[in-house]
Amino acid sequence: MTQAEIKLCSLLLQEHFGEIVEKIGVHLIRTGSQPLRVIAHDTRTSPDQVKKALCVLIQHNLVTYQVHKRGTVEYEAQCSRLLRMLRYPRYIYTAKTLYSDTGELLVEELLLNGKMTMSALVKRVADRLTETMEDGKTMDYAEVSSTFVRLADTHFVQRCPLVSPTENSEPGPPQPAPTLVINENDMYLVPKLSLIGKGKRRRSSEDDATGEPKAKRLKHSTDNKEPIPDDGIYWQANLDRFHQHFRDQAIVSAVANRMDQTSSEIVRTMLRMSEITTPSGAPFTQPLSSNEIFRSLPTGYNISKQVLDQYLTLLADDPLEFVGKSGDSGGGMYVINLHKVLGSLATATLESVVQERFGSRCARIFRLVLQKKHLEQKQVEDFAMIPAKEAKDMLYKMLSENFILLQEIPKTPDHAPSRTFYLYTVNILSAARMLLHRCYKSVANLIERRQFETKENKRLLEKSQRVEAIIASMQATGAEEAQLQEIEEMITAPERQQIETLKRNVNKLDASEIQVDETIFLLESYIESNTKRQ
Amino acid sequence: MKGSDNQEKLVYQIIEDAGNKGIWSRDIRYKSNLPLTEINKILKNLESKKLIKAVKSVAASKKKVYMLYNLQPDRSVTGGAWYSDQDFESEFVEVLNQQCFKFLQTKAETARESKQNPMIQRNSSFASSHEVWKYICELGISKVELSMEDIETILNTLIYDGKVEMTIIAAKEGTVGSVDGHMKLYRAVNPIIPPTGLVRTPCGLCPVFDDCHEGGEISPSNCIYMTEWLEF
Repeated sequence: MTQAEIKLCSLLLQEHFGEIVEKIGVHLIRTGSQPLRVIAHDTRTSPDQVKKALCVLIQHNLVTYQVHKRGTVEYEAQCSRLLRMLRYPRYIYTAKTLYSDTGELLVEELLLNGKMTMSALVKRVADRLTETMEDGKTMDYAEVSSTFVRLADTHFVQRCPLVSPTENSEPGPPQPAPTLVINENDMYLVPKLSLIGKGKRRRSSEDDATGEPKAKRLKHSTDNKEPIPDDGIYWQANLDRFHQHFRDQAIVSAVANRMDQTSSEIVRTMLRMSEITTPSGAPFTQPLSSNEIFRSLPTGYNISKQVLDQYLTLLADDPLEFVGKSGDSGGGMYVINLHKVLGSLATATLESVVQERFGSRCARIFRLVLQKKHLEQKQVEDFAMIPAKEAKDMLYKMLSENFILLQEIPKTPDHAPSRTFYLYTVNILSAARMLLHRCYKSVANLIERRQFETKENKRLLEKSQRVEAIIASMQATGAEEAQLQEIEEMITAPERQQIETLKRNVNKLDASEIQVDETIFLLESYIESNTKRQ
Repeated sequence: MKGSDNQEKLVYQIIEDAGNKGIWSRDIRYKSNLPLTEINKILKNLESKKLIKAVKSVAASKKKVYMLYNLQPDRSVTGGAWYSDQDFESEFVEVLNQQCFKFLQTKAETARESKQNPMIQRNSSFASSHEVWKYICELGISKVELSMEDIETILNTLIYDGKVEMTIIAAKEGTVGSVDGHMKLYRAVNPIIPPTGLVRTPCGLCPVFDDCHEGGEISPSNCIYMTEWLEF
């Protein structure tokens, strides 16, 4: 873990869970897997607090544990999972676009609570939805359950590993920690529950203390004494599936930009057909015949078979090489070349960064060296048609920022500079890693700035909160208009404007964090696909 | 050549052999084995008789190469159409660049508007290098005569700009614009992603990014770039 990643993880943990969990979490990231005693000793916190912090972290799948031979249990932090916390808003938004408000709330509750049983989840979401509906209407549990079943069928939520049933029957001393197993077939199996009921509207104004670790709320929610039918079957959000969806979105928009709307719809259909059949990380989707694609096109698109064939041929012949033809049976078998797509998207990201940072002429030189693989100084000037002095300046600038590398090829064994070839080259993988590191640091900077802005105006925010609380209580007890006006005027106009500016700034910083996260996603997917191949 | 002796004849022969690439005075010395002073005298003599001329090379501006008087210097010496008097004409190249791109862009636009079946649409959005060359010649913005290879180098720079893509197709020998049985076709394209998220924040473009850390002189809390950006 680099310093930038550790900093980002620490900021995220602090924002979501508080100081103690942050301390434990960062300690685990820095030192790898450790037993409970050592953690308590090194961070100088009481074992009780360490236990509670670890509970929170394990509930959210951020820390895993392992039982070692001697019987000690060691805890290890999952760094990449920690960084996913940045992407939660994007997951929730995706669920909203696919399954509307019900899906959005289901995924949101699941992400905020780490793991939940289906019945508890359905009940909580129904309650929340009922609150937002008009008076007298309530949300039926059945509707929420059906959305949940759809989420499970498309693999967006999955079952958590369960305690292995054979353990209890083994003789001998009990294990210090249970081992969790999950059967591949059962991962998306929804238990047969008949949840009957409607959402309840909250009468009293319960204050959601946001400081409370979310894991504790799970214990409070089981108020009723009835046994829950699906006790022990917990569900979690399947982040890999969401990532697959984001990747598909990126591919479709790339095709739409390069070609036209219809081609992108065809590619979207192909990706949807291979959603469940292709494992994540595979270099190619399953081959799809053009007849199948024709049958699966969305009903709004009535294009004839020949036109579809033409589009497929065009896609296969395009220099981008996103779609390849793998055979001729069934009217032509087509695959989507996933690794190539990720490579092109990462390259486009790099080019865009070079263009914005150094200018379009530098971008020209960058693309030139990228295409020709290795070039001498003189050749760069000739091909790019840029005067020698400027070309030299730009090449050195990019070299100093590590976008371009220099390869020496000596003519003589003594490597004399006057008798060596110096070739410029671009290594996409290392440039992508460098850019990713920069992204992490940028996001950490943005979060810090946001916290700074909030802290600066803390006094003002507290004042406005107090005034709002006073107004609300006075409205509840039925006060007159004049009194309310008087209270509202406690906040002067410039202060009101300051609060507006603060809100705008915080929103802007939030939005830009999510934008940088998009870049992070593309680069991480590319690096992952490359390292798996090797 | 009356009035010249054997040495001059030898030097003249050497220069003639060099053809239109010219030859450097030191190379003449090696080939003829004559002392430096003699060579200089002979060269001055030949120049005054208007039999040879000196041409400055664009690669090394101090070097002078000698060639026969009535020969046109080769492209590698003068730099070809892009150099006028040893200066690289960047504005000229830029203008040509933009004109070619505009031509290809309008061609792609008309092809897209025509709304025919996709194969025809795509094929009509392509332009061969010969078409572009004819268009540029007709525009008449160039004082110098441009060949098809010159236009192809300009089109290549557009490819490196990411605005144009190229395919090579096989063509019959007789068709216009084909070279050695194939033709190069060019087409204007859009970039596949919009400007990426990182460059929309100040940190992505910050020149002092590596010096920035919390608690230092340059930190996110007192970053002037961020303050300016938040005020938009």
